[in-house]
Amino acid sequence: MIPTALLKRLLLLLLPLLGLGTAPALAQERSPTASVIAVPPFAITKNVDTDAGNTWSIANQIADLISADLNTTSSFIVANVKDIRIPSYPEVTAPSYPTWRAARVKLLLSGFVSARNDGRLTIGCYLYDVQSGREVARQGFAVTPGEWRRAAHRCADAAYVEATGNSPRFDSRIAYVAESGSPDSPVKRLAVMDFDGASHSYVTEGDATVMSPSWSPTGNRVAYSSFRDGRLHVRIVDLATRQDRPLLPVNEPSFGPAFSPDGRAIALSMSAEGNTDIFTVDSSGGYPRRLTTSQAIDTSPSYSPDGNRIAFVSDRSGSPQIYVMDFDGSNQRRISFAPGAYGSPTWSPDGERIAFTRTEGPTSRIGTIAAGGSGERIVTSGPRDEEPEWSPDGSKIVFQQYDAATRRTLLATVPADGGEVRAIPTPQGGSDPAWAGRKE
Amino acid sequence: MNRKILFAAAILAAATATAAAAQVRLPVIFPLGRDGAQPAPPSGIPGAPMSTGAMQADLVVKAGSDTVYFPPDGSGLNPNSIATLTAQARWLIANPFAYVRLEGHGGPLDSRDYALAIGDKRASAVRDFLVMQGVAPQRISVMSWGKERPGSVRVGPTVVAAGARVVTVVVQ
Repeated sequence: MIPTALLKRLLLLLLPLLGLGTAPALAQERSPTASVIAVPPFAITKNVDTDAGNTWSIANQIADLISADLNTTSSFIVANVKDIRIPSYPEVTAPSYPTWRAARVKLLLSGFVSARNDGRLTIGCYLYDVQSGREVARQGFAVTPGEWRRAAHRCADAAYVEATGNSPRFDSRIAYVAESGSPDSPVKRLAVMDFDGASHSYVTEGDATVMSPSWSPTGNRVAYSSFRDGRLHVRIVDLATRQDRPLLPVNEPSFGPAFSPDGRAIALSMSAEGNTDIFTVDSSGGYPRRLTTSQAIDTSPSYSPDGNRIAFVSDRSGSPQIYVMDFDGSNQRRISFAPGAYGSPTWSPDGERIAFTRTEGPTSRIGTIAAGGSGERIVTSGPRDEEPEWSPDGSKIVFQQYDAATRRTLLATVPADGGEVRAIPTPQGGSDPAWAGRKE
Repeated sequence: MNRKILFAAAILAAATATAAAAQVRLPVIFPLGRDGAQPAPPSGIPGAPMSTGAMQADLVVKAGSDTVYFPPDGSGLNPNSIATLTAQARWLIANPFAYVRLEGHGGPLDSRDYALAIGDKRASAVRDFLVMQGVAPQRISVMSWGKERPGSVRVGPTVVAAGARVVTVVVQ
């Protein structure tokens, strides 16, 4: 249970966020090195109406979204700035340091929103070290009004990267399978959204069951499995044009695609005569090349971040276990040896560990294991946690969990080393998450 | 209808284990929506063309079932499956114009990909058996639903998830 005092503090932190469309998130335990940061509402040059609301309201929402982002990490304490005068436009680039020193903040993230003649917005943000009175980072964007969230996430990233030295994490998206309808015959649609559940959109119509999305490394394409036309096959969709086509020119069932880190190849499973093996194919299409030849089931490939190795599942030992091979299929070796069934291995962004689902009896949990096979850790408690994927910065694992109360499958995250499980809000049920950073 | 869904895996596994050990028959499992509501097999002129729905019903009556079940982690046929499939093969030989699609399923505890792979393996095992019994291979197609159509069956008074199985579906 959460102590009342902590709950009150959380409520205080959350109050400014409620009702503004941001996802309320419980604040984590702060690490002793957490930086106190002030994120006052952004300044505007003139209040102008846009498709996404007027610039004044966008400027306020940007500050709220940045605060919400920073509150999801243990590296920041976002200061309450309600009683401090909102910086004017000139003060964004020349902050009144004494004011912020008096407020006992270490960092100040200030910015502005200004409407351009071409209908876009200029959004600028500046990070200051208040004690030394120095600017430490700045970001500027020209975006359509509907894209202000991306700019806000990247401002939050600028502060996060500067304060922690970690990789950026907030400007990222999740592709997943939205589930509705009856459990016996669900409607499953490919959907994409920001990591916090915002900017949600459906990519497929729901006329065919889809599964297992995988991002291209540049984030503009998604490969996925589909039963479209009554035939199980891997498809690839361009998110900008929504052009959607089968990947392979063959009739054998194919599924479970995984992009290589350079985006040139896709590894997938293909079945022939009752035997499933792993193949690779050029991501622009063509004929697949076989990597595994065992008479057992080989499936669920995932590339290492350097592209040199592939983790996969095989039941050649009698139960599904995790194996690793070189990208050309050589050097196949088993890395998991515990009882139960392993599934859905996925390589961490730093290449050190592999996340997986482990099923023992009726219980499935998420765990990680070093790529060499040592140090297995279970990080969730089940009872039905499945299909893990890493966040782009490797700090978290996103997965699907079963909610017995609603009988739905929902998305959730857990810190990669274990800890508090948090739900990701989705309009319907959700499964098969895949998380990607965005690159220009 | 009692829609309380339980995990079939444990129940079916236990039942299968018992069946394998003692050679007793499984409890009679009726696919939902078909029990009690089966159209009577048409008694018209012999050789009259039947709809695929009527042929499916005929297959269920003549072969005892259109579905065979598997242990959660296997794709081998047990004596019950062999009896059902032998009867299905007889029906297919007696109905030479019928084509079937074998729909394999994984269990709810399999991973997404593994369920697709093992569903395919199970359906292929059934195809191999039917072909061995003399059914022409070109009359049989095979697909896997993985765990995307979990299905449910009634075992006595309870409804449980059907899980690992292959359903013979008349397509023509």
